[in-house]
Amino acid sequence: MPEAAGREVLEVEATVREALPNALFRVELASGSKGSVVAHVAGESSLLRLRPGEQVVVELAAYDAGRGRIVRRR
Amino acid sequence: MSIQKSWSELLTMARACRIVVETLDLLEAAAQPGVTTKELDRVAREAIEKAGARPAFLGYRDYPATLCISVNEEIVHGIPGPKRLKDGDIVGLDLGCIVEGFYGDAARTVAVGSIAPEAERLMKVTREALFAGIDMCRPGKRVGDIGHAVQTHAESFGYSVVKDFVGHGIGTSLHEEPQVPNYGPAGRRERLVPGMCLAIEPMVNVGRPEVEVLADGWTAVTRDGSLSAHFELSVAVTEFGPWILSDPYPYERAEAANA
Repeated sequence: MPEAAGREVLEVEATVREALPNALFRVELASGSKGSVVAHVAGESSLLRLRPGEQVVVELAAYDAGRGRIVRRR
Repeated sequence: MSIQKSWSELLTMARACRIVVETLDLLEAAAQPGVTTKELDRVAREAIEKAGARPAFLGYRDYPATLCISVNEEIVHGIPGPKRLKDGDIVGLDLGCIVEGFYGDAARTVAVGSIAPEAERLMKVTREALFAGIDMCRPGKRVGDIGHAVQTHAESFGYSVVKDFVGHGIGTSLHEEPQVPNYGPAGRRERLVPGMCLAIEPMVNVGRPEVEVLADGWTAVTRDGSLSAHFELSVAVTEFGPWILSDPYPYERAEAANA
């Protein structure tokens, strides 16, 4: 008997706007209306050196649209 | 991370899985034109109790029956009732039982009477997709490799895989960690280690992958009304390769491909 699939995260494209303290970044979502979110970096330490203007992919949790997780450059 | 089972636990699970598969054999023979789905549910319940096991689905999250019967465009979780099977239907039979606290779970889609070639092909591809997934159940592989193998096979025939329902770990409960999706990139998700038990269950649609759940709260149908097939086996990851728990021994790939 199959199980209902768990909540999947949403991956969206974004642009880094500003580096914040504690390895957080403010990123602007490419998909228009949602505006910007604060995102932390996931995994690779090379993501810690992101600069404003870089294009990244951000995961958004369905339950908190104001926060994200930068998973990779694009 | 799913709990790793010892060999003695695996043997108990194998007994549960064996009972499920033998009951499915009975049901497959009984799925003839004119029989009601309720009647098949009764056959399933009697067979499981006669074998000294308990139905696993009955009462699970208030599910009202022993068997899930999903006809044609129904994908999974169809509740047995007064509906009569008719010639040309394809019928998903999904069944689970409990032996000494351990769960066995398996499903297959069977033909009622003579079915359309398209339905035949869908069933064959879905079953092949299941075995493509099972073949990934080896130490060092990852859960994502299973889904990737299933999806790649099904989509190469132009079919789609259902994403709203997933396979699952199995053991002392029906649904354990990890979830086992039938899609996604290879090399992701949990690493497979010996002793893990997974219920792998591709649900494949002729048309689009979207699902709708009917007002009974259970029956999942394809939103576009296209045919859907479902095959499931519970599999243990072992040092010797995948072990389909309803089979007596771990097997190697050649046998599975031709099964």
